[in-house]
Amino acid sequence: MDYPVWNPVMGGGVLMALVAVTHVIVSHFAVGGGLLIAVAETVGVRRRDPEYRELARRSSLVLILFSTVFGAISGVGIWVTAGLIAPAAISALIHTYVWAWAVEWVFFILEIVAALVYYTTWDRISKGAHLLVGWLYFVGAYGSLVVINGIIAFMLTPGKWLETHRFWDGFFNPTYWPGVVLRSGIVLMMAAVFMVFPALKARAGARPRLLRFLGWWLAAGTLLAYGGFRWWEANLLPTTRRLFLGASPLLPKLAATRHFTLWSMAATLALALVLLLGLPRRMRAALAVIVALAAFSSFAGFERLREGVRKPFLIQGYMFANGLRVGQISEANERGVLALSGWAAHRAGEDPVSVGRQVFVTECSACHTVDGYQAMGRVLPTADDLAALVTAARPTDARKVFAAQCVRCHRDSSASEMAESLPTAQEMRDDPESIQDLLAGMVEGTLDQLHEMGDVYVQASGTQPVDTTAMSHPYMPPLAGTPAEMEALAAYLEGLQGPAAFEPGNGGR
Amino acid sequence: MLPNLIPAPDAIPMPGPAWLFQFLLVFTFFLHLIFVNLALGGTLLAAVARVASGGRAHDPRSVLASRMVAINGYGVSLAITTGVAPLLFMQVLYGQYFYTATILLGWIWFGLLVALMIGYYALYLYKFRSAPEGAPATLWLVLSALMFLAVAMVQVMVSLLHAQPGRWAAAMERPWVMLADPTFFPRLAHFVLAAVGFSALVVCWWALRQARRGGAAVETGIAAYAWKWVMWAIVLQIADGALLMSLSPHGVLSGLMRGGAAVHLPLTLGIVAGLVLLVLLVRVRTPAPGRVTAVLLLYLASMAAMTVTRHQVRALYLREATARFQLPQAPEWGIFLLFAVLLAAGLATVAWMVHRVLTSPAAGEDAA
Repeated sequence: MDYPVWNPVMGGGVLMALVAVTHVIVSHFAVGGGLLIAVAETVGVRRRDPEYRELARRSSLVLILFSTVFGAISGVGIWVTAGLIAPAAISALIHTYVWAWAVEWVFFILEIVAALVYYTTWDRISKGAHLLVGWLYFVGAYGSLVVINGIIAFMLTPGKWLETHRFWDGFFNPTYWPGVVLRSGIVLMMAAVFMVFPALKARAGARPRLLRFLGWWLAAGTLLAYGGFRWWEANLLPTTRRLFLGASPLLPKLAATRHFTLWSMAATLALALVLLLGLPRRMRAALAVIVALAAFSSFAGFERLREGVRKPFLIQGYMFANGLRVGQISEANERGVLALSGWAAHRAGEDPVSVGRQVFVTECSACHTVDGYQAMGRVLPTADDLAALVTAARPTDARKVFAAQCVRCHRDSSASEMAESLPTAQEMRDDPESIQDLLAGMVEGTLDQLHEMGDVYVQASGTQPVDTTAMSHPYMPPLAGTPAEMEALAAYLEGLQGPAAFEPGNGGR
Repeated sequence: MLPNLIPAPDAIPMPGPAWLFQFLLVFTFFLHLIFVNLALGGTLLAAVARVASGGRAHDPRSVLASRMVAINGYGVSLAITTGVAPLLFMQVLYGQYFYTATILLGWIWFGLLVALMIGYYALYLYKFRSAPEGAPATLWLVLSALMFLAVAMVQVMVSLLHAQPGRWAAAMERPWVMLADPTFFPRLAHFVLAAVGFSALVVCWWALRQARRGGAAVETGIAAYAWKWVMWAIVLQIADGALLMSLSPHGVLSGLMRGGAAVHLPLTLGIVAGLVLLVLLVRVRTPAPGRVTAVLLLYLASMAAMTVTRHQVRALYLREATARFQLPQAPEWGIFLLFAVLLAAGLATVAWMVHRVLTSPAAGEDAA
């Protein structure tokens, strides 16, 4: 809240997603690859099968190039990006879990040194020593995962930590063990699909047995990941589940993401059974790409879901997506948001619209841009929306507009009832000023609702998750600030619409 | 100075005393610096040597370049790995300044990742894909060196900006304003020269070890070439160090002069070590293994002393700002103890693994 705000063109969330998703795919391969490479080499030594040894050897090059270079840099990249777009959250996490990260660093050292030694010492040291290095690599990599999982799960389900602020209460939180199971499955999936490519370079006679070997791991990993996923879902807070589960989820896009994740898992399992286990002789690089994309999709879908269901929080029950802490709401309402944010105050000046813009930047820009990702221009109602509502010739448009713009505030109403309460299209054209007042009233009404949501959090104990069921916008942070700041924000948002927004037929945006 | 621009310290207390985090920050930064020096200085040295060799494969300078790149395949990885810890501990102590500086630099700070990625892969391209002779190979190496230099520039910008809240308002409008800081280029040069000198010294030390096993002419050529680089790096380093001090803000300079034994000791050790190094380097025309080992150890000692001084300089820069805040503390000794035990066990495991590898040579059918 009191840091300057960095707004990349595509929105901080999108940038974070780009960095994070690519990182987690590679980093999970790095963990699972450690296991499968060590197993492959062990099998090769015990059975005196040079093909398994070659699979391990070729895969170790992929591991070095992806894991120690891209994985390491993109891992730092997550930190860099998080520091840019959510400094207060990363600061809170580091203050809570600096020792966990330090422990993870120890595992990371072991992992990287072992990876470099493992790759360099092919043909140079004894089989036993080389296997030892391979297995130590896996210990380091898996140790790193189980530590980081505690911090990631904490953000979604801090559990008793909200009450006690004790390290272990937050670390072993309700989704910790489901996360371990889920990610253990995912690391096997990632490793298997990456290693299919080195396996395809084996001589034709050996390829089927290597692909079957990987197929079993991919199938097992997918089933384990599925089990972990369902366990993870079951351990989420009811208010979190309501966002994406049930007959009418609050965030349909997240519900769709969940379906996408599960179908991708199903596709991965089917491809493992059919292509790798059933028809390994038919396997080609193009098919391997399809298998990999299915596995990547399921993992990326889960990560998108996990990030999305944290709404409206960065750290559930403690800090909202815009960096506002639950404990700061009262102070912000009393003294003003700009009093808490020196940067916003420095830029605001005296003009109410300028003040409103800074309130927007401070409280809203973590999720909304003006005209890019999650653009306010698309969120704010326009005269065209109203015209669509009252025009009988366009009933489908009317229902869409009602669902997008009206239903949150008028749950007990319908599109046709709403149309009856509005002026006719002709009346709107004749009197655009009244439409301007109407639209402004809608903006102010919504801001009032968002501001009132803060009272629910203030009245809660602060040590338990808040039941957001009755809130008008349960997936959004409350708006905090003085009445003057709320008026300034309304003035700024109304200004964003522009004169065309108040004249039906002009495009409205 | 715009004091209201400094964010408040985190509401969650530090899980340990400040002195512990300061110790861990300095110690892990020193470890990080060793590999950073190899990665940055080594790649710069390799690029220059490669260009100077004209791409001739048997030229000692070309061999030096290949050897340095072989080392840096690991050096860069370890630089990133060891960099995680100081970044972590620094955020506990100076997060409110660090995050602000990185946000003000925005894409410049994010660009560090891109430069690092390009630099690292260019290094691998040189190592794996390029022909031993010819322009394409040289270009990959030069690209890598330039990228690592860009990373160093960004790091120096962040270091200077986070320590000077008084410059934040200007940086908000124009982030590149940090290039106009009078200490920017001397500070950058200080790090780059230290990195080049250290990596040249490591190359020299390694070449003399290799010379015992044969190929003495090439190895001696490499050692002599690298030795000159060490010497000139030290000469320029001493001159640049004096310039850097003279251009530092008055408050920082007077803090260094009047800081007492805790400040004087590392600074004096660093300067004296630099002067002794210069004398040793000038007096030795043909480097011998024993002498080079001594110089390397002295160089490491001066790096350690300067790492402490660097930390103290930051504290002096931020003296006024940090005096306004109390950082709440609630030590969690149990989990710290777990970290300490695991760190000892982890390092012991790494040492054991390396020992096992070194004592298990094999070839042919017996090899992995």
